Amino acid sequence: MCNSFNLRLLAGVLGAIVAVGHAFAEDREVPPPLPVEPIGIIETLPSVYPASWFLVHDVAFFHMSDGKVWVIDTAKDTVAQQVQGTFNVSMIGNIRQSAKRSEIYATETFHTRGTRGDRFDVLTIWDQENLSPVAEVLLPGAKRFMGLPERYALLLINDDRWLAVANFSPAASVTLIDLDERQIIDEIPTPGCALVYPTGTRGFSSLCADGRFLSTELAEDGSILRQVRTESFFSSDDNPIFERPAVMDGTAYFPSFDAMVYPVDVSGTVAKVGEPWPMVPEEDAAEQWAPGGIAIIDKDDLGRFYVLMHPNATDGSHNGGGPEIWVYDPEAQARVMRIPLREWGLSLAVSRGDSPQILVTNPVDMSLELYDAMSGEFIRTIDGLGQNTPLMLHGAQ
Amino acid sequence: MKFLDQLFEQRSRQLAQHSSRRGMLKGLGALLVGGASIPLLPVARAAAQSPGRPVEEGDPSSCDYWRYCAIDGFLCDCCGGTANTCPPGTEMSPVTWIGTCHNPADGRNYVISYNDCCGKSSCGACLCMRDEGDRPIYRPDKTNDINWCLGTSSAAYHCSTAIVVGLAFEE
Repeated sequence: MCNSFNLRLLAGVLGAIVAVGHAFAEDREVPPPLPVEPIGIIETLPSVYPASWFLVHDVAFFHMSDGKVWVIDTAKDTVAQQVQGTFNVSMIGNIRQSAKRSEIYATETFHTRGTRGDRFDVLTIWDQENLSPVAEVLLPGAKRFMGLPERYALLLINDDRWLAVANFSPAASVTLIDLDERQIIDEIPTPGCALVYPTGTRGFSSLCADGRFLSTELAEDGSILRQVRTESFFSSDDNPIFERPAVMDGTAYFPSFDAMVYPVDVSGTVAKVGEPWPMVPEEDAAEQWAPGGIAIIDKDDLGRFYVLMHPNATDGSHNGGGPEIWVYDPEAQARVMRIPLREWGLSLAVSRGDSPQILVTNPVDMSLELYDAMSGEFIRTIDGLGQNTPLMLHGAQ
Repeated sequence: MKFLDQLFEQRSRQLAQHSSRRGMLKGLGALLVGGASIPLLPVARAAAQSPGRPVEEGDPSSCDYWRYCAIDGFLCDCCGGTANTCPPGTEMSPVTWIGTCHNPADGRNYVISYNDCCGKSSCGACLCMRDEGDRPIYRPDKTNDINWCLGTSSAAYHCSTAIVVGLAFEE
């Protein structure tokens, strides 16, 4: 009986408290409940990416079938704001963007059982708005170039109607693809010569083991009009050049292992090699600076190019990156700025526009660092995307 | 990370150039201790006992092993293979790049063939990048940046061997 009375008393007190609470809540205007949300909404991106966006290509060196490209906005502060989306690139492929077509092209390789089974090489076509694979072109012969990423393994030509894909089997050739029809036009042999650099509007050039260019001019139907080998201008044994140029305003600037720049006029149908000039001013010569890294060079829209440099260069140091970026004015044939990095750089890319920024891969922890290309000032570290080996970077278009 | 080996090596060099004499003496001491230990290695000792046998020395699981002068990849010795054999269940690439390395034990230069082992995903152990004599991909015979799993049933790269294929020509 006593217990029953206590329980009734307790219930009365609690009721009073709830009533008072309701009264307070009504005074504060209770917010409406969350609306029921639609299911199945997928985000989209602009068809042309803003200048502050970059493509971060993680080739996944430790698990190559799971390569991935992050589309990031470096102007943002947090990972949640920076990551705009991703797409996969299997087996150390290469990518090329076409803002004009709002598409990204990627060479990929698959086996039917992961690392075994039948092999399929494909050109995958991603649309920039949805990051969806909207088409693919089968690449026959198991020959598409597969190696550490290159900017010039793929090349858009003929006003972005065709894509040239470099092959290495180890025979060298180029597969020409019609991007309107999504089919192969032809395969063009480039014996002894690698990659695809622009020359003219409907052609390409390849760099050869004997220190020449092989320039290929194509007819309207994609067949070979003529192929011309230039004079040899370097020795791949004694003074090799990097296969990684900065191409700007009809000139490709190729740095060499021994820190020279070879300007190559690529505005015509045949590559025309100019006089090389030194990258290292005399006052710094004793420190033996030289280019090094993977994506060692890129250009801005203001007429300058940027190179990762390291001191005390030795045989074998050319892939290791460097502690500084040197900025060049090719018209003046002069270094115009040194940008000391916070730690080390392995690859770089430069954004487009009037206020360019440099994104750098720091190989010590595989993070990304952003620098102001005009002042050289460090802006921020970008990390925690889930990246492992972001060896190639591209300014987005 | 494969770049770290070289990065740390470069930094060590820079540090050595800018460090104190005492630091240099410490380094020299370590070098001398290391040098003294070399004759005690099994291979070297066996060679000393059998002067008619070819000699080499060093640790095939270490990036500074003499054969690895031009390598860039995972050492098969750490993946179930050896310096000149592939791990079980993999397939050796028949085409490859070569380097010329100096064997300190006999003073000769050898041509080394860096055949990749293929068919399984990246080994992941003992990543080593030395790159001496490495050239860009327009010189494929001297390029280690290519996936050399060519002519194999699978394009999956697993690790790299370092096989002696002959004496190098004297320059």
